[in-house]
Amino acid sequence: MKENSPLNRDGLPPFVKTWKQMYIILTGTLFLLIALFYLFMNHFQ
Amino acid sequence: MSSLDWIVLSLTLIFVVSYGIYRSRETHTMDSFLLAGQSLPWYHVTLSLMATQASAITFLSAPGQAYTDGMRFVQFYFGLPLAMVVLCVTFVPKFGQLKIFTAYEFLESRFDLRTRGLTSFLFLLQRGLSTGLSIYAPSLILSAILGWDITWTNIISGGVVMLYTIAGGSRAVSHTHLQQMAIITIGMVVAGIMVVKYLPNDVSFTDALHVAGKMGKINLIDFTFDLNSRYNVWSGLIGGFFLQLSYFGTDQSQVGRFLTGSSQGQSKLGLAMNGLLKIPMQFLILLVGVLVFAFYQFTNPPLFFNKTAVDKVRKTQYAAQYEALEKKHELIQKDKHPHIMALTEALKKEDQTAIQQSRVVLAGFETKVKEVRKEAENLLSEANGGDTNDVNYIFLRFVIDYLPAGMVGLLIAVILLASMGSVAAAYNSLASCTIVDIYKRMIRKDDDSKDYVAASRWATFFWGIFCIAIAQYASRLGSMIEAVNILGSLFYGVILGIFLVAFYFKNIGSRAVFYGSILGEVFVIISYLFNLTAFLWLNLIGCLLVIIFAWIIEYTWPQPASRKPSL
Repeated sequence: MKENSPLNRDGLPPFVKTWKQMYIILTGTLFLLIALFYLFMNHFQ
Repeated sequence: MSSLDWIVLSLTLIFVVSYGIYRSRETHTMDSFLLAGQSLPWYHVTLSLMATQASAITFLSAPGQAYTDGMRFVQFYFGLPLAMVVLCVTFVPKFGQLKIFTAYEFLESRFDLRTRGLTSFLFLLQRGLSTGLSIYAPSLILSAILGWDITWTNIISGGVVMLYTIAGGSRAVSHTHLQQMAIITIGMVVAGIMVVKYLPNDVSFTDALHVAGKMGKINLIDFTFDLNSRYNVWSGLIGGFFLQLSYFGTDQSQVGRFLTGSSQGQSKLGLAMNGLLKIPMQFLILLVGVLVFAFYQFTNPPLFFNKTAVDKVRKTQYAAQYEALEKKHELIQKDKHPHIMALTEALKKEDQTAIQQSRVVLAGFETKVKEVRKEAENLLSEANGGDTNDVNYIFLRFVIDYLPAGMVGLLIAVILLASMGSVAAAYNSLASCTIVDIYKRMIRKDDDSKDYVAASRWATFFWGIFCIAIAQYASRLGSMIEAVNILGSLFYGVILGIFLVAFYFKNIGSRAVFYGSILGEVFVIISYLFNLTAFLWLNLIGCLLVIIFAWIIEYTWPQPASRKPSL
């Protein structure tokens, strides 16, 4: 595998500037999903 | 199965296997055989990670689990995205920096050959046994449903995949994962659409969800903190995080998948996308199970979903007793039906009082159904012996009883492809560890690359035969299945602990981590034997114990300066 320096944007989607942002999106999506599942459960239960 | 089903099933399998063999023509070096030449883009990495994790049982068992227990199983995956972040930050850069073939090579650089050998051996033992069971579990179900001898279903599940794994190694495995995931996704989406189509005309998709929800099947989130509850938000986030971190970071069947990325960035994005997609995918599979549950509220379900077991009991002295239970079950369903319709009507009118009344009445009927099913299970156990859990048969029984010709073949292909996906990755990882960690490191250090490729092919063949033999043997040792499955979760936490010490505790040396891991393992086994906690927590306990014991040993019994430099 090629080396990955902090300035290397290899692999990052175009809408994300840094890997830190990517990890925030990933974690945020998890908590968003938990919230959505909670709402889904309350709606149908 | 109809002729059309056989055609669909055969063509799908021939297509995937031929494609795998076709892709194997570029495999001449060890790097291309074991790591696909580290040339794959992120989407290949993502789909390969997902196909490796999703075994046949995922598609057989998860819908059945939603049918009986609701959707709470989805919480099991909540730790996965967080584990992906840690993998991207720590594991990928470290593994990439060393240009390794297996995760355990890293342990020799950080500690010593003894620690590398120990973890590699534990992996081979655990993965070899669990792959045998990955072959056996769907084989058992398919042989029961299709009426085939289990030897044949074992050979198809475990043997066909050997063709392209031996020929093309990691490259063939990754490329076929792409096709497998595409067919699996199409199959499951079409199955979900068909369930909705088979609902009564006046019952919509949302009506079905309301009915299932009011009967407690949409129990997605549970915030209660209970160490003995198998699935809740906390066990998923904390216990699941450690389980997924150890699975993706220290199990070569997954490490071998993300090491195929063309760069560290592609590997990291592949892992990140796996973190984004896995929970929604699992949610959709469970939703199919909930829809099957809703479908069976309007149509009489069988008393027991394993038809082979029922056919067997009909030929024994217990036949009359079973028939009586079936009649009892049918009567309950008949009495229940007007209340289901009343609930649907009340839901449409948004009449909360009527909804509440129906819920109470239906809960009573559910208890009665459970009691009759329990009686049937006891009877089947007495008549046939062995396992009487029919959860894994629910979805496939629905497919065979209700889906049109062609779809049954496609869904059976989905099950076989899912099995092939995880088994192929396992064979490749077993061959990698055998050749890189043992053969090349300890037996023949200076062979030509082509010789190592040939040895890797032989190693794949050996592990294929070993795993099929385990699958054959498992059919005679029902109780061993559970024991070996638990064995996996007993070791993951400890192996993760060794890796975390390697990454984050640079003052701790090889002797401390070696003895710390042995002590940690002993405590994990004691926790399991005395049933101190639900199994997911064992991953956290094992990991923390290794770190604590290694730290104590290092400071009470310091190692001489011969310790290797930390990375």
